[in-house]
Amino acid sequence: MDGAKVTPGKTAGLYAGAAVLRLAIFTLLPALPDLLTGRVEISTPVTSFKRLQEGLFLYNHNVSPYDGGVYHQAPLFLPLFSLLPSFSSLPIFTYLLYIAVDLLSASALWKIADSGEAGSSALFTSPRREKRWSGFVIAAAFLFNPFTIATCIGRSTSVFTTCAILHAIAKAVSGAPFGAMIALSFASYLSMYPLLLLPPLVLLAYDRQRPSRATKSALQFGAVCATTVAGVVAVLFQVSYLLTGSWEFLPSTYGVQLTLSDLAPNAGLWWYFFIEMFDSFRSFFLAVFWLHLSSYVGGLTVRIRRQPLVVLTLLLGIFAIFKPYPSISDSALFLALVPLYRHVVPLMRYTFVSAAVILYATCLGPAFYHLWIYAGSGNANFFYAITLVWNLGQSLLVCDLMFAVLRDEWEVERPEMVGKEIRQI
Amino acid sequence: MRRFLSLLWLSLLSFFTFSAPVSATDSDYHEQLNLRPLPLSSLLASFNFRSNTTLSEFEKGNFRFFPRSLAQILQHAGTRELHLRFSLGRWDAETWGARPWNGAREGGTGVELWAWLEADTNEEADHKWLTLTNALSGLFCASLNFIDGTRTTRPVMSFQPEGDHSAVDNMQLLYGVLPHEVVCTENLTPFLKLLPCKGKAGIATLLDGHKLFDSSWQSMAIDIRPICPAGGECVLQIEQTIDMVLDIDRSKRPRGNPIPRPPPSEQLPCDASKPYNSHDTCFPVDHTNQEWTLSQIFGKTVKGTCPLADEAVPPVCLQVHHSRSVFVSKDVHEKKNPDGLSRCFHISPETDMELMLPRPDDAEAASSSTSIIAAETPLLYAERSFTGHGQERGGVQTILRNPSPDTEVEFIYMESLPWFMRIYLHTMEARIASQQPHTNASSSASSYSSLIEQVYYRPALDRARGTQLEVRMRVPPASTVFLTYDFEKSILRYTEYPPDANRGFDVAAAVITILDPTTQGQEAGGKELAAAYTLRTTSLLCSLPTPDFSMPYNVIIFTSTAIALAFGGMFNILVRRFVAADEGPEAGLKVLIAKLKARVKGVKG
Repeated sequence: MDGAKVTPGKTAGLYAGAAVLRLAIFTLLPALPDLLTGRVEISTPVTSFKRLQEGLFLYNHNVSPYDGGVYHQAPLFLPLFSLLPSFSSLPIFTYLLYIAVDLLSASALWKIADSGEAGSSALFTSPRREKRWSGFVIAAAFLFNPFTIATCIGRSTSVFTTCAILHAIAKAVSGAPFGAMIALSFASYLSMYPLLLLPPLVLLAYDRQRPSRATKSALQFGAVCATTVAGVVAVLFQVSYLLTGSWEFLPSTYGVQLTLSDLAPNAGLWWYFFIEMFDSFRSFFLAVFWLHLSSYVGGLTVRIRRQPLVVLTLLLGIFAIFKPYPSISDSALFLALVPLYRHVVPLMRYTFVSAAVILYATCLGPAFYHLWIYAGSGNANFFYAITLVWNLGQSLLVCDLMFAVLRDEWEVERPEMVGKEIRQI
Repeated sequence: MRRFLSLLWLSLLSFFTFSAPVSATDSDYHEQLNLRPLPLSSLLASFNFRSNTTLSEFEKGNFRFFPRSLAQILQHAGTRELHLRFSLGRWDAETWGARPWNGAREGGTGVELWAWLEADTNEEADHKWLTLTNALSGLFCASLNFIDGTRTTRPVMSFQPEGDHSAVDNMQLLYGVLPHEVVCTENLTPFLKLLPCKGKAGIATLLDGHKLFDSSWQSMAIDIRPICPAGGECVLQIEQTIDMVLDIDRSKRPRGNPIPRPPPSEQLPCDASKPYNSHDTCFPVDHTNQEWTLSQIFGKTVKGTCPLADEAVPPVCLQVHHSRSVFVSKDVHEKKNPDGLSRCFHISPETDMELMLPRPDDAEAASSSTSIIAAETPLLYAERSFTGHGQERGGVQTILRNPSPDTEVEFIYMESLPWFMRIYLHTMEARIASQQPHTNASSSASSYSSLIEQVYYRPALDRARGTQLEVRMRVPPASTVFLTYDFEKSILRYTEYPPDANRGFDVAAAVITILDPTTQGQEAGGKELAAAYTLRTTSLLCSLPTPDFSMPYNVIIFTSTAIALAFGGMFNILVRRFVAADEGPEAGLKVLIAKLKARVKGVKG
């Protein structure tokens, strides 16, 4: 459409640059990957690469990795990483896999950006849509985002979920609902929480159907999509069952996210809350926290019905704040989608504040963690306080983006209000 | 007549010293105290009490020497064989040499319990185990009832039954350990109550909490096992053992004035053989050859003999060279054993026995090697420690040294770790010290595979089960092997921390069972591995990250506020209508003020 023309050479250059940068970090700084793998901001109990290696070791030695408290990741990772040459002898293959996954995510993001869905969806066209960044810029912003690079170097398995989510959106945008549902099923299978993205994704896919084979009834379309997801997830479960020989992977992978039995510190709000929670109220608050997380899906999907991609973006931002084990890779995914809304940035009110808060928390988080765990001169409240700041900063950004998008919609009805002061009643 | 009897005793004596286990089944109750001076003015005192009851009497509930309280617990919990240990301190193998009883009668710091229970299913075994630990907890005044699922393991290779069992199929071995338990005098009192003479007569009169728990190392053990002699009736044997290493200097301090003070300079025992540059300097002589008496060390003398004990077994034995002179009170008969290294003493029932080991004569002192029997070199030295820093992750390193120049040592290394230490088995590595670590990947892999023969691993489950790790490995002659692995410390719920959370959490000692090389050839299918020697490492203190215990309310309020801010902010934007700043109804403060003005006007008007 109207994006800047990108030559194939430029595309290849971007991907090659990102790959070479990552490969250089892997090879020139051999201590850095293990250091980053150990960081709580990058590796959570459900995405840690070290835990994956332990699970793999147990799997290869015929001990069930799910009969223990260490491995909480999806069973299909085990054969995938067993097929690769052993990490201890030939780590380069693992590095290449992670780099390839990052590049795949970037290409999906590029597709989403080039479709122009962010500016003009089927039901709504923004008057500001001309002001946008090309897919090249958005993919570059993703690939060279320090959070994305740190996640890739830390070899967190959340990159696979990120890739699956981005592909699900890209497929939905390009009018392939079936592919979108399969990709979403994979994402849900790997991390469970992407299942909450189903309603907006179905709407997005419904809006962007190819006219040649469009289904008229939204209800019928939704039912087919839901059945597809259920079917693919069921197949994945069955394959996992055949691989591990029992169903005990279900409580060990998804049960841990539901009950938060592993209270390892992370960037989120759950861990310290449930450390300090009174035992008799633990289950109640677990239910409240999950209910809270899923409460946004319905509200956003209904209110911003005309722009399903916005709903997906906002939900990903909310998940990066409120899911049980968030890490900076979730923030990286949200920050990858935010540049799609270049056209509403002038309507945002607190860009400087939220950017400053996020930067502040990024710098102070590791320092405060060090003070607590290693130096012993601070206590747990230091790191807890900085996670509070980090999450407030992110929620400010999400709120602000939501406000900007809604005002952009409203200004179509009231064109005379552009640039005027407004309020909400 | 009396003289004839004593002659008879003496003739029997040699028989008993050589074949004690066999003869044990014939008579009913034995007790013996073995004293062995150790280097650096230490003294090892081993008390051993042993009694039997036939299985048929046991079933009927007729008890003579076997303690009824314990027997009823055993019957109720279906226990076939029981081993209970209360230990304190560290055995200094570098100085003291091999452990008494080849390590078979000692435990790691704290309380250790393992038992073979009669059970067909795991649930039945768990139920009986719960019964057993709770009953023993009451009997021994120890927190044995805290041996729950997270502290119980089922060792696969490490422990083998000591007794003779006809049907091994329906027996289950359970092992529990409480490394944090402080063993003290409240555990000694019930221990002595189990003895037929209740500590009122015989060698048990020496056992006093003040001295026992003041020792450098002590281990109280109770072992109950069925023994079936060939052709005889099966008996149930209870063996109670107390081993303690006393620091002679420390024990000799008077009770009223226990604070050590340096003696005046003229009383310092100086080594006169050294040259001095001035008369006020002094090189202290080795304190090895101190003189001591029983009453100085134990605070009392042996009050006669226990009348129930087998009179043929000498109650006190001392292991020193025959060349050294030993003074005893009268009516105590000394008998030197033919090995030239030990002598035993018979006491008449009403005599108080006092024993004095004087400082050797000057001629002997010159060759101080003969004054103390050289310590036997143990088969293996083991040391375990934590590596790394910080409260997030760490490593465990065990240094295993084989002192023998020509014999390889094969053993089973068992760890039972708490669940909050998440170990990464893929990081486990065994390497020989002389080799450079990480020279390349293949060499470390080959050393791993050649040193470690078999691994049994049961990973921990959060809040339900601890880690169980058993490694069968070997150490080549005259070499040192480092066994290392990484672990991660998990953070607990704040109610799961003990009151002294920042002290850290005790990690139980690793149990190392050295396999008997003579039986290794016969073993088929990994069964019946006889233990030649057992040793335990020290327990470790693992510090976990702690939350702030003082502010659960604050955290709940802060987090809830953050969530409410985000939720409220977002839904506020979602549900409200946009209007221009000057449109729509007035709201907020302005309306309130207008209302207030109207009211004021109304009042005035």
